[in-house]
Amino acid sequence: MSTLTVGRAKKRGGLWVSQRRFILSVTIPMILYSGVGLFTIGWALVLAFFDYSPGRAGGPILGLGGSNPFVGLKHFANMIDGVSREATQFRISLRNTLIFALAVLPLNLAITLPLAALIESVDRRLKTAFRAIYFLPVITSSVGVAMMWGYLYDPQRGLFNAVIRLFGGTPVAWLSDPRAQFLGVSVAMWAVIGAYLWQDFGYNLVIFIAALQGIPQEFKDAALIDGANPRQVFRKITIPLLRPTLLFVCVMTMLSSFQVFDIIQVMTNGNPNNQTRVLVLDIYDNAFRYQRMGWAAAVSLVLVVIVMLVTIVQMRLLRTEWEY
Amino acid sequence: MATIAAARARSRPAFDRLRCGLGHLMVYVLLIVGLSMTLMPFLWMILSSLKTATEILRVPPTFWPDNPTLANYLTILNDPKLPLLRFYGNSLFVAVTNVLITLFTSSLIGFLFAKYQFHGKRVLFGWFLLTMMIPGQMTMIPGYLILAKVGLLNSLWGLIVFSALDAFGIFLMRQFIESLPNELLDAARIDGASEWQLYWRIVLPQLGPPLATLGILTFMHNWNAYLWPMVVITKIERRTLPIILTWYNSQHSTQPNLTMAATVMIVMPILIVYFFFQRWVVRGFTMSGLKC
Repeated sequence: MSTLTVGRAKKRGGLWVSQRRFILSVTIPMILYSGVGLFTIGWALVLAFFDYSPGRAGGPILGLGGSNPFVGLKHFANMIDGVSREATQFRISLRNTLIFALAVLPLNLAITLPLAALIESVDRRLKTAFRAIYFLPVITSSVGVAMMWGYLYDPQRGLFNAVIRLFGGTPVAWLSDPRAQFLGVSVAMWAVIGAYLWQDFGYNLVIFIAALQGIPQEFKDAALIDGANPRQVFRKITIPLLRPTLLFVCVMTMLSSFQVFDIIQVMTNGNPNNQTRVLVLDIYDNAFRYQRMGWAAAVSLVLVVIVMLVTIVQMRLLRTEWEY
Repeated sequence: MATIAAARARSRPAFDRLRCGLGHLMVYVLLIVGLSMTLMPFLWMILSSLKTATEILRVPPTFWPDNPTLANYLTILNDPKLPLLRFYGNSLFVAVTNVLITLFTSSLIGFLFAKYQFHGKRVLFGWFLLTMMIPGQMTMIPGYLILAKVGLLNSLWGLIVFSALDAFGIFLMRQFIESLPNELLDAARIDGASEWQLYWRIVLPQLGPPLATLGILTFMHNWNAYLWPMVVITKIERRTLPIILTWYNSQHSTQPNLTMAATVMIVMPILIVYFFFQRWVVRGFTMSGLKC
């Protein structure tokens, strides 16, 4: 009773003041902190228009100007038709990144969607077990994955070539033969795609399983009553209802494969002959190994723009007008 | 209900049922094939780590080790150039600190956005989510330059200062806190609790499940992080586990028995965590759209 009286004794105004003080004490540090974030983004944008290297002293503001001169759109012009080593490397990286992402997305969906439907159809306890095990690679550190797969691909002592020899085939130098190709894409690229798919598929799998569970049984039952067979139910009911999930999965898979780095850096470091060099690796090498940070910032700007475009296009293509 | 059962039955006459039985068998066969393909790289890693230095060099390789041995693990643990405990400590420090900070800021800011009305709330929310949605590769370069300016390169704090706010965490917490009844908060206010006390005493204790989910995801994300730690840390004794693993690999690239044993030691802790918290982890990933 006494506490209640104390509470009543406080004026309404008092309560409002203490709430406002609380709001301010949380929002002000938050705004300051995300202000640093905004400053960082702005700095990254500005760097893309300078020939900046951290080794040089440069001008008074953030080391820009002076020996780190403003170059305008020169970096971007270079990317399009420059002949310098970094320009050709950029174009190779861009092409490889596109190949990587365009190969990963359909392969991933071709594995995860049927697999999710299979897992969804088994007994509930088994389902949990299957899901848990299929998810293991996702939580494994990508450096660990790269180490494991690098050794699987080892030309002499790796498991894959051992199996090939067992069936009388010729061993393949998976990660180091610059001439080996399959479907016009280098074998080294397929090899890193394989490792990446293995690590990544469990993520989409659990999302599809969750989505399949979320589809109301009544819809399928109604179709069955109307005389549809199970396959028709899957094609005409399940797939259309999965569209929002499909959109989400496509966007997320694309985004993360455009940003692939760990597995490739550890397994091939862009070799052989830059055949597995991708954009983030290019950014990392330019910024932190060759100290060409202006150039690297310009490349990262290109990456960000591509990532945003892909997101927007896929949102448009796969948009649905209704919900259930 | 009867009609539904009838409809289901009608779609499977006797012939169909036989086909269905075979179909079921096929389902399990496919699932088990997939399962072995998922587990094979793990198995190959573990088996290789148990082989002796001579056996590992054999061409073609053996699958099962002839004389399984733990010698490789002992070699790694006794390597004076590789103070593993220190690296576990580094990784643990970064991961745990980031988890604590993320849990605190996410729940506090989530509480603010869920339960308070103030001017500019929506703008603030949108603006500051936007600043966090820019991919890390873009802010990596200025981030490095800032750390260089303030002297946090080669410091584990450099792996912490930029990750204090987490968009996914704030979303998650806001959603959860919105479902808490306002009456609960008002009752505590009438009893004289301050707004901070509401947060600590009323809201936080209700947040067990989302805190667990967010905590585990943040932990894994930091434990496995590679690119940013490699940028920030160059001194060997400050390195975290993934960077030390690639370093060790470059030193012993002709001895896969050792590198595979090292990989096991670095991959295993997270798999053990996963084993205990499997449900939370999977649920968290399903909700998030966040990838390690």
